[in-house]
Amino acid sequence: MNSTIELLAPRYDIAWYPWAVQYFFMIALSYATLWLAAPALVFGKQKWLPTARLALLACLATTLLAPVALLADLHQPLRFWHFYAYANTHSWMSVGSLILPLYVVGVIVLTWLAWRPALQANRQAPGIAGFISRWLSLGDSPTPPVLLVLVGLSTLVFSTGIMLYTGAEVAIVKARPLWNTVWLPPMFVATGFIAAAGLILLLNRVMGERCTVVSGQMLKVMLGACLVAGLVAGSWFLDGINADVGSVAAAMESVRGSAEWRSTALWGGLTGVALFGAVLYLLTRPAPRRPALYAWAWLLGLVALHVGWMFRWVVLMDVQTVARHSAGFHHYGIPAGSSGILGIVGTFGLWLAVILLIDLFVPWRQARQGGSATDVSPGHAVTQNAANTTEGVSSHG
Amino acid sequence: MDPIRRSLLGQLARLSAGAALVPLSSVANAGINQQPPRREGDPTKRYGMLIDLRQCIGCQACTVSCHIENAAPLGSFRTTVAQYEVEHQETGEVATFMLPRLCNHCENPPCVPVCPVEATFQRQDGIVVVDSDRCVGCAYCVNACPYDARFINERTQTADKCTFCAHRLEAGLLPACVESCVGGARIIGDMRDPASQISRMISEHGDELMVLQPEKHTMPQVFYLGMDERFVTRPHAEPVALEVLDPHGKEMGYEFHH
Ligand code: SF4
Ligand code: SF4
Ligand code: SF4
Repeated sequence: MNSTIELLAPRYDIAWYPWAVQYFFMIALSYATLWLAAPALVFGKQKWLPTARLALLACLATTLLAPVALLADLHQPLRFWHFYAYANTHSWMSVGSLILPLYVVGVIVLTWLAWRPALQANRQAPGIAGFISRWLSLGDSPTPPVLLVLVGLSTLVFSTGIMLYTGAEVAIVKARPLWNTVWLPPMFVATGFIAAAGLILLLNRVMGERCTVVSGQMLKVMLGACLVAGLVAGSWFLDGINADVGSVAAAMESVRGSAEWRSTALWGGLTGVALFGAVLYLLTRPAPRRPALYAWAWLLGLVALHVGWMFRWVVLMDVQTVARHSAGFHHYGIPAGSSGILGIVGTFGLWLAVILLIDLFVPWRQARQGGSATDVSPGHAVTQNAANTTEGVSSHG
Repeated sequence: MDPIRRSLLGQLARLSAGAALVPLSSVANAGINQQPPRREGDPTKRYGMLIDLRQCIGCQACTVSCHIENAAPLGSFRTTVAQYEVEHQETGEVATFMLPRLCNHCENPPCVPVCPVEATFQRQDGIVVVDSDRCVGCAYCVNACPYDARFINERTQTADKCTFCAHRLEAGLLPACVESCVGGARIIGDMRDPASQISRMISEHGDELMVLQPEKHTMPQVFYLGMDERFVTRPHAEPVALEVLDPHGKEMGYEFHH
């Protein structure tokens, strides 16, 4: 038997939709930004406070959005309560469904604690901002920093659970050899940190902070995450190169068998190396030149977000098109409707809306490790927030 | 790359930073992701199927009768018969090879432990079923089955798959695909009963029987007689996809064509 031609095979649709990519992307941004907010908010490192403020804003917005995308990927979203009625310990997805709410609540409480002093200072503000501040700050008792530390630490623990479960959930699937590798979970985390650092670089620019310290810190984080990602990818490759079956073998087969996979692999490799090179270049410039160059770091932020998102798209969507049981690849075109493009755009749009709403009404720029209203210079808080409000209104009108 | 260099690279990888991750993977697979206890069904039975490929003529009668019996939506199948055109290496002679596929009701089914709500479960008689009232449609099981035996039923929006026609077995009938098979290629029965036809055929043909993707350790309970080893795993075939459109230009399905 020399050549075989498959004459008849049914078409297999993909089972997880682009919503899954959105969830994996949002939740990775969420846990990574939490860790970037932690040095200042949990461990009290003042140098990291500007970064932490941006990170916390990003973290809250992605944390609120991620479960929406997750729910949308269920074919029976109204039955989500079954996860709790029939919870079990032998499914990573079930384990995840127990960790996720703890994590989400943790992030919400942490953010509230960090914003509370500024909210209290903002109670006299006119209009909706003042109303929200009065309503959200729940009295004017001081916020003990130790509470922030405790909530922060436990949320960090839950976030580790999220990293573990999102990775393991995919990596245990033997039916898809490309997923079935121990190197996948650490790669999710590494690319998550790359994207999160990118997001903060971007927010640093669009929120008008333009803080050089933030840029420097995020570029360093990105460099580290790129190195780790490179190391993980290299180990995955070397680890599997011996085997005839398994993740690497399946990847090689896909790359050999499909021009699309070849260009994806090439694009991924080149973007990763280019990003690493550019970050290294910026970080090694002489100090006086840095501020001018760092003003452009947000562009690298965009590239980093692209890397984080693309990695998840290729892993979760493209891998599903590799036929398991018949020959070749199953075609998948992104549908235009809510399970495809509309869903992707919609999640990002909703995320942006959350950020804008927070920016309009909440003094997130004064986030701090607890304390009381008097710690926040009241004039500053009010004027800055008022400025935000008018800015928002005028840009609307 | 020569083998020595390859294994050296492999060793290097293991020495690298991530070596600590390797034991973690066994936790991921073992501690969590273990088979839950079986429930319902008759514990004195173990259903299995034997497909005698020598009798299969590729008529797709099973595909059609299963489709009607189980009311699957258009384009989704609980069973299909894959067809390959094969060419003899020396003589160049061309023949068609038929491979009926359905759920293997695996002894170690990877689709079961992944289910977050235990909607997918294995009965004590070995049949793997889905409780469609409980299923949340997360499609985890669809991804976990190496045999593409599952799909999300677009009408019920829950997981769907072959049930060995448990509703018919309970009524003392044969599954639709078995009943309609022109050549009598599909034999279903209780493998715990030594007198059943399937038990007799298994002991008669023993070594000749093959299962699909044995390397996945799923222990399939659909056995093939007259199988060519090269089709046990994903065949080295060359598909040429051709979209099948209905009169309104809507895509109905796929055909691999050469
Ligand atoms: S063939 Fe697939 S669906 Fe059937 S029991 Fe095995 S893993 Fe589960
Ligand atoms: S789709 Fe249904 S049966 Fe399958 S794993 Fe999800 S809940 Fe379980
Ligand atoms: S046993 Fe029933 S459900 Fe399974 S393939 Fe045959 S007809 Fe379809």
